[in-house]
Amino acid sequence: MSTKHSIAAARFIANRKQEAWHDETLWMVRAKRDKMSHSLPEWERLRELACDIKMYSNSHLDTLLEEFEKNAIANGAIVHWAKDAKEHNEIVEKILQQHNAHTLIKSKSMLTEECGMNEYLFSKGYDIVESDLGERILQWMHLHPSHIVMPAIHIKRQEVGEMMERVLGTEKGNSDPTYLTHAVRKNMREKFLTADVAMTGANFAVASTGEIVVCTNEGNADMGTSFPKVHIATFGMEKIVPNQEALGVFTRLLARSGTGQPITTYTSHYRKPEDGGEFHLIIVDNGRSDILAKPDHIRTLNCIRCGECMNTCPVYRRTGGYSYTYFIPGPIGINLGMLKNPEEYSDNVSACSLCLSCSNVCPVKIDLGEQIYRWRQDLDKIGKASSEKKVMSGGMKFLMERPALFNTALKFAPLVNKLPRFMIYNGLNAWGKGRELPTFAKESFNDMWKKNKIQ
Amino acid sequence: MKIGLFIPCYINAVYPEVGVASYKLLKHLGLDVDYPLDQTCCGQPMANAGFENESLKLALRMEDLFKQYDYVVGPSASCVAFVKENHPGILEKSGHVCLNSSKIYDICEFLHDVVKPEELPSVFPHKVSIHNSCHGVRELHLSSPSEMNIPYFSKLRDLLQLVKGIEILEPKRIDECCGFGGMFAVEEPEVSVCMGHDKVKDHMSTGAEYITGADSSCLMHMQGVIEREHLPIKTIHITQILAAGL
Amino acid sequence: MSSKESILSRIRSHTGTRYEQPEITLDAIHYEDKTGQFSESLKAAGGAAVVLQAGEDINELIRKHFPDAKRIASNLSEITCATFDPDSVADPRELNNTDLAIVEGCFGVAENGAVWITQQVKHKALYFISTGLVILINKEDLVNNMHEAYQRVEGTDYKYGFFVSGPSKTADIEQALVFGAHGPMNVLVILR
Repeated sequence: MSTKHSIAAARFIANRKQEAWHDETLWMVRAKRDKMSHSLPEWERLRELACDIKMYSNSHLDTLLEEFEKNAIANGAIVHWAKDAKEHNEIVEKILQQHNAHTLIKSKSMLTEECGMNEYLFSKGYDIVESDLGERILQWMHLHPSHIVMPAIHIKRQEVGEMMERVLGTEKGNSDPTYLTHAVRKNMREKFLTADVAMTGANFAVASTGEIVVCTNEGNADMGTSFPKVHIATFGMEKIVPNQEALGVFTRLLARSGTGQPITTYTSHYRKPEDGGEFHLIIVDNGRSDILAKPDHIRTLNCIRCGECMNTCPVYRRTGGYSYTYFIPGPIGINLGMLKNPEEYSDNVSACSLCLSCSNVCPVKIDLGEQIYRWRQDLDKIGKASSEKKVMSGGMKFLMERPALFNTALKFAPLVNKLPRFMIYNGLNAWGKGRELPTFAKESFNDMWKKNKIQ
Repeated sequence: MKIGLFIPCYINAVYPEVGVASYKLLKHLGLDVDYPLDQTCCGQPMANAGFENESLKLALRMEDLFKQYDYVVGPSASCVAFVKENHPGILEKSGHVCLNSSKIYDICEFLHDVVKPEELPSVFPHKVSIHNSCHGVRELHLSSPSEMNIPYFSKLRDLLQLVKGIEILEPKRIDECCGFGGMFAVEEPEVSVCMGHDKVKDHMSTGAEYITGADSSCLMHMQGVIEREHLPIKTIHITQILAAGL
Repeated sequence: MSSKESILSRIRSHTGTRYEQPEITLDAIHYEDKTGQFSESLKAAGGAAVVLQAGEDINELIRKHFPDAKRIASNLSEITCATFDPDSVADPRELNNTDLAIVEGCFGVAENGAVWITQQVKHKALYFISTGLVILINKEDLVNNMHEAYQRVEGTDYKYGFFVSGPSKTADIEQALVFGAHGPMNVLVILR
């Protein structure tokens, strides 16, 4: 019955110290978010507005994207459309070729992760430098992000320190985060100044002005785009919002939800190319138009990638991003993975106790938990329901539909209480892995009622 | 008002005393309560496992069993929430209308919102920590979910305040999931047990002698951890506290 | 068919319900003392705000806060403590090793200590490359929240504009907060 998630989760939990630290650290981010959300009386109204704006935008993608393109071109930008990951990567490569570029400096973009862009460009001989500290650390350690906002959350300072000794020549044994961060600051300064082309993602694309908005705390997107003459900005088409008034709503929700701050340090609006420079915008589909055809799951397009669903998820906190098989973990990842390829990513659907905390924290009111429940119903249809679960469920159905049989079973159930331990607590008993079985009552309620014992 | 008592499958099998306490409590408050015979299950375990359609016959049976009652009241927030939220959809797919969803209540909901007792004779001189179960909080609104910016309320606390001698506490992570989750408990047992362990420890940190709540499923899972790890705390369903001494 | 046409055609055929555009109405937070709140918010973000008192000299105030700054950049005529004009350099890379940059902001936002700045210098690198940053805004130019902020931004034109709230920071290593990730380590807003 074990899913890939449950196996990976067991490994993560076996390291008790790591699991406890990961859980506590992410809970603190949830607590910081709560402090923020509770200090704004209009919080729930903001969530409602954000959801409504997204539902409007994502049901008018054709008109809004065309409006965006028209305004972006009038601003002097060059607009590209990418049907899928392959086309996206090829567009980026072409721009690099056109400018004889060798080094690309980029800020965080889960979309480029989704498209496998880094691997593609490396294979073509380009040098990609991640400028976000967390992403840079992962790049040096040859790892992938385990959280969409705090990508290196699972890595301890000692590991970072040891790696930087090797890569940057920092002091031996020094794992002070300030020291390490400033060492990277110095090292990255050189990279910013010498990169050929800069690339960013976009948190929002504004239809009425043709500009994009990039939110960072480090200022790495802004530093990165300040020296090269070419800036490529790529975004999934669901990032489109109608106007700047909408930004008022989203900029008040994003950082409060994602990191527990009222706003990110930088909220940068890129509208026109630098003098003598080029500003390329890539609008990416890569399966998003397919989601439009699934009314049950359309709200996943609301996602502003804040990551709070991961912070609040009791399963994610205790199992970490690497336990999930899709590159985005947690509640939104379970849903997006199933939308991408249900057969391949169905293992993640078990990673949920259906507590619904995620649905409650989501700033754009995606019904995350409810959608996971619906995916569970679909597993059998796509041939991914585990046979053990099917048998258990079928067995329960058989029993429960026959009251007489149910009552008989209850009469014999107390015998289980007396069985020798080795018979009950063994490899076949998943419940018994960390818990004692409940004690079956000598007389069921049905029995007691019939015997008039309940007054 | 005629009340039909709804006894979920695991209450029938494992915690019949919770059913007894519920009955006694409702009777004490002067209500006309009856138990339609031979109830089995609402279908939630199958649905959570992904076989919602297998709950159809059980949903139909529940409609039949309770059709003559004005209210259906049961001591399980999660089962009641399942009937309320999911039975309509399951039944609609086969062209049936769900009547139960508009008249089914968890017993705490029912007492707090409909009966509104001003006093109870119960005495329970112990420290208890309220377990705010996920379905109770986020589907039945038994208390304000900690994620949302709404004023604090707790129907369980309001009811427990009628009990003499009791000291009411709540854990730090006031409504974090205990890890039962139905099929989740056996499909991801390590995570489930880890969550159960953490939750019990959180309840213990309040200094409470008992963990109490509206969901025996959560209590059963935490009791399993308590017994395996020999932890010094007990579990008790809220109806057993409210009916203490009856 | 171009990719654009192909994508748009997929969108049109897959879009189901067309939801209505909502009217953005809400009771957004506002403050009795916007200046006080702005200062508090900026402080929480690791920055500092100071109100220029009557008769106080702005250059002296800047020198007091940044006594060790040697290479000071500003294209503002009132800033006489500047050691060079950043607009006079041809290449933004020459701005590296600037200790302090003093720039003009448009307005501040009380709820989060952010200042809206539209690029008014030749090289936008100036806003990020220096170790310290001083932003000047008029003390009446404070709004309560981001809704009011975007009302002010709407209809204005710029090549590049940004909200900045405090110094550059990161918590990517074990969630330990560090100031001065890639951008300025110190940010002072002077309300004059």
